[in-house]
Amino acid sequence: MKKELEHQFVTNLEKHQNIVHKICRIYTNDQASHNDLFQEITIQLWKAYPKFRGDAKFSTWMYRVALNTAITLYRKKKRGIQTQDYDSVHFRIQAEEYNNETEQQLKLLYNAVKELNDIEKALVFLYLEDKNYKEISETLGISEVNARVKMNRVKTKLKAILNP
Amino acid sequence: MDELEILKQDWKKQESNYPHLSYDQIYKMLWKKSSSIVKWIFVISVLEFLFWAVLSVFYINDEYWAQVERIHLTEFTIAIYIISYTITFYFIYQFYRNYKKISATDDAVTLMDNILKTRKTVKLYIAYVIISTLVTALVSIYFTMEYHINSAEVLDSTKDYSFDFNQWAILLCFTVLFILIFLGLIWLFYRLLYGILLKRLAKNYKELKKLEI
Repeated sequence: MKKELEHQFVTNLEKHQNIVHKICRIYTNDQASHNDLFQEITIQLWKAYPKFRGDAKFSTWMYRVALNTAITLYRKKKRGIQTQDYDSVHFRIQAEEYNNETEQQLKLLYNAVKELNDIEKALVFLYLEDKNYKEISETLGISEVNARVKMNRVKTKLKAILNP
Repeated sequence: MDELEILKQDWKKQESNYPHLSYDQIYKMLWKKSSSIVKWIFVISVLEFLFWAVLSVFYINDEYWAQVERIHLTEFTIAIYIISYTITFYFIYQFYRNYKKISATDDAVTLMDNILKTRKTVKLYIAYVIISTLVTALVSIYFTMEYHINSAEVLDSTKDYSFDFNQWAILLCFTVLFILIFLGLIWLFYRLLYGILLKRLAKNYKELKKLEI
């Protein structure tokens, strides 16, 4: 029984692991932290898995547990300053797809997102994942109106970071 | 175009650029140790309950009871123990109940609420320990002073000198000062410990609750 549950869980997570990688990308700045957070999210997902009823989609349920881990449960390890530019190593943008100007703008945008606080990052992440305001408000436990207001502030803040 | 829209377009294009962990790599992670703050709060809280319980077990012995008898506090002490153990068990029960409620499947605010509630139970318990220690100490000092003269043993060993009012006052002041410093240090220690542990949670909780009616 337990083995079956393990197998089911790992198969599901392997299939949907991109969700976790994307959260790690938003919340961490180097590969070691990325791996740490990925591991902690996996542990929390596994611990919470018996509560997963199957009435929601596995991926929808994952967003909640994974974000909760990144925002609340995960305790960052102290690390020395990492000099390696993680984005440029792991998420190199294909040169033929973009012209230089767009590439530059995207780089600035990703850096601007890194400057946001934990909650703003969560809002941006859910927005990028095409979640509507109802889903965003349910994941974070705030009202829809509040989610909208917060999102507008994030947009304003991003603009301000990009055009100081 | 809106900045977030530009970002979203790229975000979708990058879908295939993420690392891919194998089934075995993920499977191995299931058995790794969690470093979640809930685990730390649980461990620290259990240690706190244990610390005070063990301390009182070591402190209470026959000599202690003889001392209590001498200053006519037996009934008071027994009553205090019954009350304090009842209260301690109540706190442990509350703590356990709140701890069980913590679930990563809740929405972010509910999860944070439940963690803060667990922490609040322990905070109240520590406040209770500090206040009750202070009250018990003050009552003991009062009875020690009151019955000092009546105690045969004390009279035998100290009949050559007796305390006047000023000396008693000085003794009282020093004792109270000592207790206050001791308890103050404990309080500071807890503030620091939980302050470090919950700093990020408190900040995010405030941020989420902002604008909420």
